[in-house]
Amino acid sequence: MMPAIVGLIPFGFVAGVVSIASGLTPGQGLALSFFSFSGIAQLVTCQLVAAHAPLPVVVAGAGVVSLRFLMYSAALAPHLAHLDRGWRALLAFLMTDQSFASTVKRYSEPGDARYRHWHFLGSATILYVFWQAAVIVGVVAGAQVPANWSLDFAVVLTFIALLVPAVRTRADLAAAVVAAAVALATAGLPYRLALVVASIAGIAVGLAIERLHARRK
Amino acid sequence: MSTWLTIGAVSLATFALRAAFIVFADPHRFPHAFRQALKFVPPAVLAAIVALGLVVADGRMDFSAHNLRLLAGLVAIVGTLFLRSTLAAIAIGMAVLWALQWLAPHAG
Repeated sequence: MMPAIVGLIPFGFVAGVVSIASGLTPGQGLALSFFSFSGIAQLVTCQLVAAHAPLPVVVAGAGVVSLRFLMYSAALAPHLAHLDRGWRALLAFLMTDQSFASTVKRYSEPGDARYRHWHFLGSATILYVFWQAAVIVGVVAGAQVPANWSLDFAVVLTFIALLVPAVRTRADLAAAVVAAAVALATAGLPYRLALVVASIAGIAVGLAIERLHARRK
Repeated sequence: MSTWLTIGAVSLATFALRAAFIVFADPHRFPHAFRQALKFVPPAVLAAIVALGLVVADGRMDFSAHNLRLLAGLVAIVGTLFLRSTLAAIAIGMAVLWALQWLAPHAG
């Protein structure tokens, strides 16, 4: 858990600073963070709000970058099926990349698994508290940080830090390269629709290459 | 007002995706092809965001050496390949960008 927390702090700080730099009020920046609790979704939302994108485009952008949650949800659901609805809703709300990884690892260990949702709740709550603290500091600092520090560039760097370990196979690499190329080719589209178009193109190519590879075996 | 609506809609969307199978649906009805496709969400989405963030400035594409963000971003990608940490990526990228801005104050 410690490395996950250390990695979250600069990311949360940047998310807070960027929400103010994108024109959100401090209250809006904090509400977005408290209720969506997803750094990537928060940053994409801020970018799109700053670009004056209409609501459906903002939701599509934030939704596309959050599709991985569907995969996590499917993976954890069987372990949590014995809990009541309130418990499941709470755990779903708190689920992030880091708490998913830590929870999946815990459920894969041998022994009595009935009470492991407490481990999920604990790790997710700790991450929630540290994340929101970092965002609050970022929101407060956001107004003081001079524009010529180019702190918005830290957002792109955060995405680079997430992208590099996400590319593990050749199909991943193809998905990434195609998505980047399509993003640049469609960069002129209004409301940053390039992000959604490029993501779909990259996913399609990754899938096609994996299928081709599987058929050859 | 519309910003508050957007915040509400984004929060609902992220919760709906997280809760889809934990709260609402049976994961066994999750088609295999869809599961395969989701694997490519992180590399595709993140690469698109990074490409746009590094190359497009003020609505125009800039592949030249005057684009300091592109140079700093490429150094950060190489650095992250070796160091694999969020902190390292931010530290390397910001240090390179600030150094380049100091050396070439009139570039982008």
